[in-house]
Amino acid sequence: MRKIRAIAFKEVIHIVRDRRTLMLIILMPMMQLMIYGYGINTDVKHLPTYVYDQDRTYLSRRLIDAFTQSDYFTVKTQASSLSQVYSALDKGLAQSALVIPPNFTGDLLKKKGAQVQLLIDGTDSTPANVALDASQAIVNAFMQHEGLVPIQVSPIDFRPRLWYNPDLKSTYFMLPGLVALVLQFLVPMITASAIVREKERGNIEQLLVTPIKPYELILGKIIPYLAIGVIIATSIITTMHYLFVVPIHGSIVTLFFMTLVYLTVCLGIGLWASTIADNQQQASQIVMFFAMPSILLSGFIFPRETMPFWVREISNLIPMTYFLKIVRGIILKGLGFFDLIDQAWPLFVMAVLVIVFSIRRFSKRMA
Amino acid sequence: MPDIAISADKLTRRFGKFTAVDEVSFEIPYGAIFGFLGANGAGKSTTIRMLCGILEPTSGNGTVGGFDVQTQPEQIKGVIGYVSQRFSLYSDLTVTENLLFYGRIYGLEGSALSGRIEEVLVLSGLNRFHQRLAGDLSGGMKQKLTIANAILHRPKIIFLDEPTAGLDPLSRRAIWELLYQLAEGGTSLFVTTHYMEEAERCNTIAFISDGKILKIGHPTQLKQDLSRQILEVACRPLMKASRLFAALEGVHGVTVYGTTLNLNVSDQKAVEARVIAAAGKEGVEITSIKPISASLEDVFSDLDSERPKDA
Repeated sequence: MRKIRAIAFKEVIHIVRDRRTLMLIILMPMMQLMIYGYGINTDVKHLPTYVYDQDRTYLSRRLIDAFTQSDYFTVKTQASSLSQVYSALDKGLAQSALVIPPNFTGDLLKKKGAQVQLLIDGTDSTPANVALDASQAIVNAFMQHEGLVPIQVSPIDFRPRLWYNPDLKSTYFMLPGLVALVLQFLVPMITASAIVREKERGNIEQLLVTPIKPYELILGKIIPYLAIGVIIATSIITTMHYLFVVPIHGSIVTLFFMTLVYLTVCLGIGLWASTIADNQQQASQIVMFFAMPSILLSGFIFPRETMPFWVREISNLIPMTYFLKIVRGIILKGLGFFDLIDQAWPLFVMAVLVIVFSIRRFSKRMA
Repeated sequence: MPDIAISADKLTRRFGKFTAVDEVSFEIPYGAIFGFLGANGAGKSTTIRMLCGILEPTSGNGTVGGFDVQTQPEQIKGVIGYVSQRFSLYSDLTVTENLLFYGRIYGLEGSALSGRIEEVLVLSGLNRFHQRLAGDLSGGMKQKLTIANAILHRPKIIFLDEPTAGLDPLSRRAIWELLYQLAEGGTSLFVTTHYMEEAERCNTIAFISDGKILKIGHPTQLKQDLSRQILEVACRPLMKASRLFAALEGVHGVTVYGTTLNLNVSDQKAVEARVIAAAGKEGVEITSIKPISASLEDVFSDLDSERPKDA
C-alpha cells in the first residue's frame, strides 16, 4: 500500500511539473465544451431571410410577422425586386426568401387561392428541412388565426410530442455525450504516455531491479489518472449544467459511479497501448487509432440505428457506445442504475478484463 | 552469511540463434570488487541483467546473495543495488525526491528514510544539491546520485554497468573513491568498465569476449601470466618500422605509443635480435630497445589477438 502511494505521489509530481500535459488536461475539455456548446449548434434558429412584399397590405404584413415571431426566420432586408432576392440567395446573404405577389390579399378575399413563395437554400439539408417544416406550420397557424380556413375536426386527433428534449436543443444531446468523448480521448492518452515515458527515458530499467510488484506499479500509476479523469468529468458536467443549462434528471451518484467504471476501461486502453508502444508518439497514435472509430460509431454524432448491421455489431465492442447511452439516459431521461443494467454490465466486464490483462502483460522480466 | 556474494555456473543466455552469454562461471566473495571487461556487445550487460533477475537465463545456474537467479529473482532484487549505464532516475524530480521515492519502494519510511537519505547525500557529496532537479545535475553528479540511490537500502551487493562511462577524470576518481569505501564496508561490487586503469583497481577481473570468459584472475596475476613479453622499441621512421616489425617471426602485434612501438612477442631474446637485424637492413634507426612489464591493456590485446578474426 505504501509503495502504491509512493508511486502515485511521484506521478503527481510528474503531472504538475509537465506543463504540456497539464495544459492538455485543462484546456481540451474546455475547448470541446465551447465547440460543442456554442460552435456546433444544429438548432435552426434565426435563418436570415429576405422579404419581397409586392402586396403591402395589412394581411401580407401579418404573414411576415408570423414568420418573424416564429424564431426560425429573421427578416434581414425588405427586397425591392426579385433579382435582389436571387442574388442574396446566391451570395449566401439570405438562406430563405419570402415572396408575396401583388394580388395576395385580393386573391385571398376572392377565395381564388392566393400564392406565396418561400425560397430556401437547400445546400445543407438539415436546416433546409427544419425551415420547410416550420414554414408549413407557420402558414397553417396564420390561416387559422386569420379565419381563412374553418377549424376542422379530423377523425384522428393526432398529437405528436417530443420527450426528454422537447425543444430539440442540440446541446442537450451533445454535451452529455462530451463526457464520454473527452474521457475516451484524453485519459488513455495521458495514461499511455506516462508509462511509455518511463520506457523512453530508461527509468523502467531502474524500477525493474527493485522489489516492486507489477500490480503495485500499475495501481500506483493508475490512481492519479483516475483522479484526473474524475476531475475532468466533474468539470464538464458542471459547466454543462450551469453554463449551458442542461438539466440533470437522474442521480448524480449513479452518474459518477458509472463514470468511474468507464474511466477504468479508458485507463486500461491506455495501459494496453503502453505495452505495445515504445515511445510517446506511438502511444498517442495507437490511442488516436481507437478514438476515431469510437467517435464515429458509438452514436456520439451519428445515430447507430441507421448503421448497417455489421457496423452496429462492431460498435457493440466500443466502450463509448455503452457509456453514451448511460450518460444520456441518466442526464436526459433520469434513468436509474437498474434501467441501464444492459449498458452497465458490458462496461464492468470490459473494465475487469482490460486491467487484469494489462497487469499480466506487464512483466518485470525483459525480453 | 555465506562468503560468496555472487556466483555463476555455466550461465548462458541465447537470443534466438545468437548466444549472448556462453557458459560463464565465476565466484565473487563479499567485500570484493569484480571487474568485468570486454568490448561493447561482448555480453557484459546481458550477464548483469541475468544476475539482477530481470533477464531469465537460458541455462546454467547462478546465485546472488544466496538467492537463485532462475527461481528467486524478486528476492534478489531486494538485496542488490543497481547502477545502470544510462541515467535512469527521474530528471523532473529533485535529488531528494528521487531518493524518497526509491527509499519508499525499498520499504524505508519516516525518520529512518530521511536519516538514511542524509547519510547517502553526505557520502556521495551531493548534500549541497539536494534541492536540485536531477536533470540539471552534471554527468558526474548524476552518476553519484545513481550510486547514492543504489545504496539507500544498504545492499551488500551492487552491480554497476559502466559507472564512469563518459565522465571526466576527476569525476571518475571521485566515483572510485566512493566504490572503495563501499567495498571496505564489506559490500561486493560487480563493475563493468572500458577503462584499463580502472580495471587495475579491482580484486578480480574477467575478460569477456563473444559471450565467453577468456581469462579471469587478479590483475597482477594476469599480467604475470602473460605468455608473451612486451618489447619497447624507440625508432624512426615509426610507421615504416611498424610495418617491418609486424611481419617478423615471433611478433604477434605492434602497438604505436607516441614515439615508440610496443611489440607483443614470444621468445623475447630471439625476436630482439631479428628486429635489430631487420632494422639495419631496411635503414630504420633504433635509438633504444628494451623489454617492459606488461599492462592490462597488453593482456587485453593479447587475448584479442588470439580470437579467431572475422574473415
